[in-house]
Amino acid sequence: MNYKFSMAAILPAFLIFAAGCQPANPESPDGEEASSGENSGSGGENSIEVWHIETGAGEEVLQDAAERFEEQEGVAVNLKQYQNDPYKQQISTSMGGNAAPDVFHSWGGGWLENFVDADQVVNITDDVESDRFLEAGLGTVTFDEEIYGVPMGLDLVPVWYNKEIFDEYGLEEPETYDELLDIVDTLNENDVIPFALANQTQWPGAFYLMYLAEREGGEDLFADAFSREGSFDDEAYIEAGEKIQELVDENAFPDGINGSDYDTGQSRQLMYSGDAAMEIMTSGAMLKNVDDEMPEFKENLDYFMFPEIEGGEGAQNHLVGGVSPAFSVSEQSDNKEAAIDFLNFISEQETATNFANESGAVSPVEGAEYEDEYIKRLSETLNEADFVQTYYDQTLPPALAEVHLDTTQALFGGSITPEEAAEEMEQAAEEELE
Amino acid sequence: MATNVQNKVNAKSREAFKKKNRKNWLVILGFMAPALLFYGVYVVYAIGMTFYYSLFDWNGIDSNMVFIGLQNYFEVIRDGVFWQASGNNALLIAASLLTQLPLGLIMALLLFSPIKGMRLFRTVYFMPFLMSTVAIGILFIYIFDANYGLVNQFLGAVGLESLQRGWLGNEDTAIWAVIITICWQFAPFYMILFRAAIVGISEDLYEAADIDGASAWRKFSGITLPLLRPIIITSAILSVIGALKYFDLIYVMTGGGPNNSTELMATYMYDQTFTNFSMGYGSTISSMMFIIAFIVTLGIITVDNKRKADF
Repeated sequence: MNYKFSMAAILPAFLIFAAGCQPANPESPDGEEASSGENSGSGGENSIEVWHIETGAGEEVLQDAAERFEEQEGVAVNLKQYQNDPYKQQISTSMGGNAAPDVFHSWGGGWLENFVDADQVVNITDDVESDRFLEAGLGTVTFDEEIYGVPMGLDLVPVWYNKEIFDEYGLEEPETYDELLDIVDTLNENDVIPFALANQTQWPGAFYLMYLAEREGGEDLFADAFSREGSFDDEAYIEAGEKIQELVDENAFPDGINGSDYDTGQSRQLMYSGDAAMEIMTSGAMLKNVDDEMPEFKENLDYFMFPEIEGGEGAQNHLVGGVSPAFSVSEQSDNKEAAIDFLNFISEQETATNFANESGAVSPVEGAEYEDEYIKRLSETLNEADFVQTYYDQTLPPALAEVHLDTTQALFGGSITPEEAAEEMEQAAEEELE
Repeated sequence: MATNVQNKVNAKSREAFKKKNRKNWLVILGFMAPALLFYGVYVVYAIGMTFYYSLFDWNGIDSNMVFIGLQNYFEVIRDGVFWQASGNNALLIAASLLTQLPLGLIMALLLFSPIKGMRLFRTVYFMPFLMSTVAIGILFIYIFDANYGLVNQFLGAVGLESLQRGWLGNEDTAIWAVIITICWQFAPFYMILFRAAIVGISEDLYEAADIDGASAWRKFSGITLPLLRPIIITSAILSVIGALKYFDLIYVMTGGGPNNSTELMATYMYDQTFTNFSMGYGSTISSMMFIIAFIVTLGIITVDNKRKADF
């Protein structure tokens, strides 16, 4: 009897314990770093704690800035690095558990707004010189005209292509969507995969939806739907969904896109090997990875902006882009002044320029100077742009962003019709957005 | 009849025992305290808090918790994704019981057969269980890769191009690809359990069977298998519970996708809690997991006890 009872009690107890009703860390790649986050709280009198997710050169720039800040201001900067996805869990549990760092990484947009609405983020409107930043960057950390963070990098999303392949088949950068479809046909005829795509993590596929919807419905489409003046079941969204499925039907993508993982390089491999000709990807991810993995590929790497759809309301100089990273100060910080100083410090010309050159992102700080050719060109592209559409998944509240990503992935998988996807999205928007 | 005698003896000794017991009470508690403390804080308290949070509409980060009673539970019962996830858990349980245990047993038996290089096989068989789950996940992402993956290359090489597909990207095959990986990882664990149990079976029984002229199969079905019964039950419980709470490989390999086709209760709970900022709803899913696991465990133990009584 006793045995029966204790077994019955203990087994599920262990189960639930391990399953994580507590914020117990699952076996995540950064288990070590994550566990040190416990009890860290904010830094002491003369130090601040900064949580970030930069790797490689971006991390070095941050470290360098931290050292210079320490020398100049006498405040020690304690940098803690996290992995992208586990970071989201760490930061929300630490905020809920009153153990937040002084300064934390964000992607701006709806994700940050969640913390702003929960009164966890310091309003720094009066502490930053807002005219030093590009509007496109600052917009992602501004809510109700108040500024809650400082952007460091601005990622743009062009269509990257392999020049060698384009030359071989006499292809030219397309200006209209029909020209792009012709390119897809030509490449298919020659057994080249038109677009490399690894869509397990869902955001790489979302670029197609965002571009196609903008080119169909114009720059106000998303903003209107978001503010509830328009809707997510707008004709333009249905058209965009249809075009995605057309591309899938025409074999514009390799097999198994929804199962291949961008982070393990499954789309880039196809580009490097010359098996695929184009990839829509953020400038930061593309340039940083090529630098790390196959620098010689840069000789063949070029980009164009997503072409216009005839009869559509969008334009080729309307870009999709977003901020990564932005840094904000936590309300729980004991050292807010030093933390805000640090934000201003890292957005000064020197650090901003270093960061842009190393991370493959355009600097959101006005007047940054670039060494990297691509970034120089991208910053010009940005200057010529009439409109920048920030990533839906970072702008929308997280629950709605999830619906957007899920339905878009399902569109690629053909398990949902464009009408159903739009309807599901609109339904969720009605619940989530007031 | 035996219990009657026992009861009399018990009645006499009970009082003395109680006295002594009371004296020892503090000592016993002292020894138990460390474990009890951990159990209390990390298990009992945590379960309590999960149930408590599940009654709120709360995002987990601000101080604004709205009490909504059982509304989360009504929602979870109507939530199609939750039931799809539970269905996948059920599938994983079935696959674990039907492949991991038999495979573990076969491997354990192989290790007792007189083959050259046994030590090597023992190490090789056990290797998957020693690898980090994340490493296994990434390894199998490459193996199932649609373009360069081992599986598709192999199918191509033997002329089965028609079977090639993006295993993890296809809603129909993704769950099977992940289940195969999970079974590959855990079969060695049961192999070790079975092997230890087989070592514990007395040689005398086999000698006696040899004298009686029993065949190898007869020895297995008449001696090995019945004596392995307790360990098989234990393994089954471990396997069922492991499958119910499973998380890691799914998280690494598919993230629950595509289109929730590989979602498990634990990954769905993670998504809701940490991606969608619904701590209340996530806690409700955790509570449901607890309830389901509790019922299943109770069921297994009841069946097992009944069997013991029949024995």
